[in-house]
Amino acid sequence: MSNMPTPRQQSLRTVLFWAVPAALLFLPLATNAYTQFIVNGMLISVLVTLGFSLVIGNLGQLAFANTAFFGIGAYASAILSAKLGIPWILTVPLAGAFGALGGFLASVAALRGIRSYYLAIITLAFGELMRWAYLHAKPLTGGTDGMPMPRETMFGISLSDDTLKFYIFLAVTVLLVKGTLNLMRSRFGRAVMAVRENEIATASLAIPTARVILATFAWSGLVVGCAGALFARHVGHVFPESFGMLQLIASFAMVLVGGLGSVLGAVLGAVLLTALPEYLRAFPGMEELFFGLIVAAVLVAMPRGLASLLRRLSPVFTERYYREGA
Amino acid sequence: MRRIASLLAALAVSAAPALAQDAAWETEGLTDDAITIGVMGPFSGNAASYSKALIGMMAYYDKINDEGGVHGRKLVAVQEDTACDSAKGLAAAKKLISQDKVFMLQGNSCSGVALALRPTIEESGVPWIVAHAVSDSISDPLAKNIFHGVPTGGANGRAMAAFVLSKPDTKNVAIIEHSNDWAHSYSNPARAYLEEHGVTPSLELTMERGQTDATAQVLKLRQEKPDFIIAALYEAETAIFLRDLKKYGMGDIPVMGTAGTDLENTLKRTGDFDTVKNYYVIHSYVDNLDGPKMAPWGEMIHKYYPDEELSTFSFVSIGSAEALVAALEAAGPDLTRSKLMAALEEVRDFDTGILSDPITWTPEDHQGVKGSAVAGFVDGSPTVLKAWGQSY
Repeated sequence: MSNMPTPRQQSLRTVLFWAVPAALLFLPLATNAYTQFIVNGMLISVLVTLGFSLVIGNLGQLAFANTAFFGIGAYASAILSAKLGIPWILTVPLAGAFGALGGFLASVAALRGIRSYYLAIITLAFGELMRWAYLHAKPLTGGTDGMPMPRETMFGISLSDDTLKFYIFLAVTVLLVKGTLNLMRSRFGRAVMAVRENEIATASLAIPTARVILATFAWSGLVVGCAGALFARHVGHVFPESFGMLQLIASFAMVLVGGLGSVLGAVLGAVLLTALPEYLRAFPGMEELFFGLIVAAVLVAMPRGLASLLRRLSPVFTERYYREGA
Repeated sequence: MRRIASLLAALAVSAAPALAQDAAWETEGLTDDAITIGVMGPFSGNAASYSKALIGMMAYYDKINDEGGVHGRKLVAVQEDTACDSAKGLAAAKKLISQDKVFMLQGNSCSGVALALRPTIEESGVPWIVAHAVSDSISDPLAKNIFHGVPTGGANGRAMAAFVLSKPDTKNVAIIEHSNDWAHSYSNPARAYLEEHGVTPSLELTMERGQTDATAQVLKLRQEKPDFIIAALYEAETAIFLRDLKKYGMGDIPVMGTAGTDLENTLKRTGDFDTVKNYYVIHSYVDNLDGPKMAPWGEMIHKYYPDEELSTFSFVSIGSAEALVAALEAAGPDLTRSKLMAALEEVRDFDTGILSDPITWTPEDHQGVKGSAVAGFVDGSPTVLKAWGQSY
């Protein structure tokens, strides 16, 4: 039986894509400040996981600079808001631009032909270098004290309000998820996957692989940089330690549990692994144990992540890399 | 479009946390027989050892409960883990305030987390006593509902300088420190205190973290011949610095260290009493940890937490718990959050019997503990000192 969706299933998929965020618009009616805060954190994790998955899943490069993009976005937003007085909402795309610039810088190693573990180490070093910069560029970043976000209002409502933040975060998340889906369905998205499968063969088809690599890193940086700006407002205070190895490991686990190179997987992994620690609040110390067990269980039972389970249930969840009807 | 905007705004407003401090809000988390207190701390993660600081406080709640509570109400601790992470800490605070609906908050190690929590807690209006984290910025500028129950970094820095100047004829003071904010949080107030008293540090040196030799710094100090040295260094670097100081014949110059070092641990690291015999550290308690004045507190902790291994952190939050109970008593049986905050602002020179300095909260100043004692070796034994040559 073909796993390709029928036209009816294609329509259902479109309806589902828009129905989920539409239903989420009413979520604040059922939450309190705490649960809303957790949901907001999930939306940020979706973007971080999505950006990470693009590079290691779709592009197939063992690059771990995403925590650096996250920090760059968060600090860009905090500095632009606190030092230049730019309204926070305007710093979100600007943080995305800084994240994209970080992605461009991180791609330089890949463009020099460095791959595999070597690329992993270089990109990890890039992340640590950025953390060093956050710590030591005190006049700009606040050093170990971090940077508080200035108090602001939008539509007459304080930006410390988790419900208002939810609507903004949801809009940004839907925009970037849809943008990424469209990008991956385009000729460019197919070129990204061709590079993953065989870079030399891709180049022989006159596809500019260097440009593809660079643009994927930059798009990943943009998505994660925007997530950084949301995180800055979410927590209200940006600290260097938020962008260390623990954040990287958590993001990597979200990618693996959701499904490498899958947009749906990024959403599932992020939601599950952001919610899990909160369910385990009552059992301090158990979080790490359950986190490890869940990652191990999913990888053993479903090596292609939770998204593969849904794909098996219905072709509606099969991600396509072509334009339907084209 | 306008309708959608109105709907969104209405949704936002309807879900916004209730800020109106009405009667229901005033007594939230309060019943006829219980006062719920949200206790946040790093119960997991890399900084989990700091959670010891909250054990002493909760043991004190248990003691009060065994004695009948406060106006018949038991103190019920609702613990939440921050893992010393700002996002997790915020989730913990929001859970305690909006879901568990506790009456008040007490606790918090990790200054970074406490700083991130400040806007949320300040906005909520829920009373919060900071029982371990030391950053001055948590409680300064003043917030109506935030009270600091331990000496802040600034208070400790000033206490260091005050002790240095209490040594007769001290005119020439040198400072050696790490180039990080932790060190500056001690050295800056110490420097300010010295200058207020007409003493400008004659030499300011840096020793980076991880440095295994202090020869260069010590040789500069030898030229300057200071009367006293203030050292804002972590314990490992302190041991190296003291070792080199003795090596170059300067072991007789007294050195004042921070609360980040422990006298006996430093002795263990150097393995040589002569190296540490003139070393002094900030010590927030009235006695040595194994001294007679601390013994009842240790016994209290072991009564309710028999497996607890006592450390310097174990006792730090008990003083603010005592002050809280005194304020709850003063607020009377018809307790409200506003009455509690008003009662906390009336706490004056409250002798906890455990912290070296009393707690005073006023409407203008919520940083309750203004100083610290100092510990040093006197006649070969660790001794708590009020000032140079003056035992506590």
